[in-house]
Amino acid sequence: MSDAIAYATIRELGARYRRRELSPVEVTRALLARIEKLDPVLRAFVTLTADRALADARAAEDALRRGDDRPLLGIPVAHKDIYLTRGIRTTGGSALLADWVPDEDATCVRRWQEAGTVLLGKLITHEFAFGIQFPGHRLPPARNPWNLDHIPGGSSSGSGAALAAGLVTGATGSDTGGSIRGPAAFCGVVGLKPTYGRSSRSGVLTLSWTLDHTGPLARTVEDCAYLVQPLAGHDPADPASSRAPVDDYVAALGGGVRGLRVGVPRNYFLDGIDPEVERAFEAALETLRGLGAEVRDVRIPSLACTHAFLLIMLAEAYAYHEGDLRAHPELYGDVLRERLQAGALVTGAEYVQAQRIRAEICAETAEVLRTVDVLASPTTPRPATPFALAHDPEFGFPRSNMPPFNITGSPTLALPCGFSAAGLPLSLQLSGRPFEEATVLRAGHAYEQATAWHTRRPPV
Amino acid sequence: MSDPHELTMEELRERIAAAGIRIAEHRLGMVRKLLSDALVHVRARDSRTMKTVEPAVRFAPETRDE
Repeated sequence: MSDAIAYATIRELGARYRRRELSPVEVTRALLARIEKLDPVLRAFVTLTADRALADARAAEDALRRGDDRPLLGIPVAHKDIYLTRGIRTTGGSALLADWVPDEDATCVRRWQEAGTVLLGKLITHEFAFGIQFPGHRLPPARNPWNLDHIPGGSSSGSGAALAAGLVTGATGSDTGGSIRGPAAFCGVVGLKPTYGRSSRSGVLTLSWTLDHTGPLARTVEDCAYLVQPLAGHDPADPASSRAPVDDYVAALGGGVRGLRVGVPRNYFLDGIDPEVERAFEAALETLRGLGAEVRDVRIPSLACTHAFLLIMLAEAYAYHEGDLRAHPELYGDVLRERLQAGALVTGAEYVQAQRIRAEICAETAEVLRTVDVLASPTTPRPATPFALAHDPEFGFPRSNMPPFNITGSPTLALPCGFSAAGLPLSLQLSGRPFEEATVLRAGHAYEQATAWHTRRPPV
Repeated sequence: MSDPHELTMEELRERIAAAGIRIAEHRLGMVRKLLSDALVHVRARDSRTMKTVEPAVRFAPETRDE
């Protein structure tokens, strides 16, 4: 199978399908063969749905023959294994659910299915979207295609790894403290965390109700725009779902960034970052300036208190897991069990104070976003972590650049902006005003078109 | 000198007892660090100067379900 097919964009696949140069069944068979060859090492997939994929591909071929012009028709995707899939095992990356087969689809799963995608299978997630699986776990973690000794990021680990290795064209992720953007950053792909309430959480296993977001990962910004389109829009099954109007995200990509005001909140986001990351970030700002953006520094002082978000996440996660933790503690992974139990130790007063800090961060960020159109920062302070470090129980939760936008719920994009000397991807994070996904995607697309980072492939 | 905002091991044990849970002895250090890091900003602030989180409920016609 050629890389041209494995790494084809949604636009390229659609054009070739419609010129009858390629069929969804051919692409699906080729990707299934590639998964069979590469995934024993990468471990991105928990469950492969080959029969379902071929049935979806045949249905897409029939639709193409009828002149169906839906852009996602015949596009091969896979879902993070916390998205419920009717009749297909959904493990949550946990031994607790290792054999659970739901009888309903998550809203996002159903919407991609209705858009004509081909479902290749389910992708490994950190256990319950929270804790990396330690050695000996029933469901081992995915590996980073750029360097197998490094984590692919998490918790949407399989999604990032599968995209980087050319095993899928699109994937879902979820993001409570960076779980879409982290794997995108560490794997050199693109991830979009939409605005809180933009993409439904219904049918997706909960980590933290007030911080959880759903969204897509892909290899280009345009692919992300195509993939988020059907996910956006009100879902009565999700109480946080918004009725805000949905933009045409692909149509909005072409506007460029001339005159766009880009704010750089250096406090917090650049504190203690790796020099290679800083150089790549400054170069990305220079590229945006060269494209006509007005780049200037801004300050969001309350971001210094970002780590308080963990109190919210821990308390809410414990509220969700308490019954199972008490009944079946042995079915939770080592270390994750104790991290979840830490949520039982957060007092009510501390949870409220953390929410008050959150309100301050939201207010200050909104104020700054009245003076600039997007905020730019490095997605992660350093490149992908080695497994040897991630598997140290004391590794914990280092300061991260991603939780501020779970706190604010702002639409936030992660996209490649360079490589470290060791060949690991580096990433640029762009965040905008609520429901202005189109602006964030437009800025990311302009940057991507001016650079070639997204065209590099890992040595798989 | 230790940080006055840091969660001590003694306080952690008290919280574990109050919560009625059991955490393995060899994981206490990890849990203490996790909670301590998360708590530091809350403990360092004067709660009387912090922003409120009201209103807890809003009444807007567009929030009604279909």
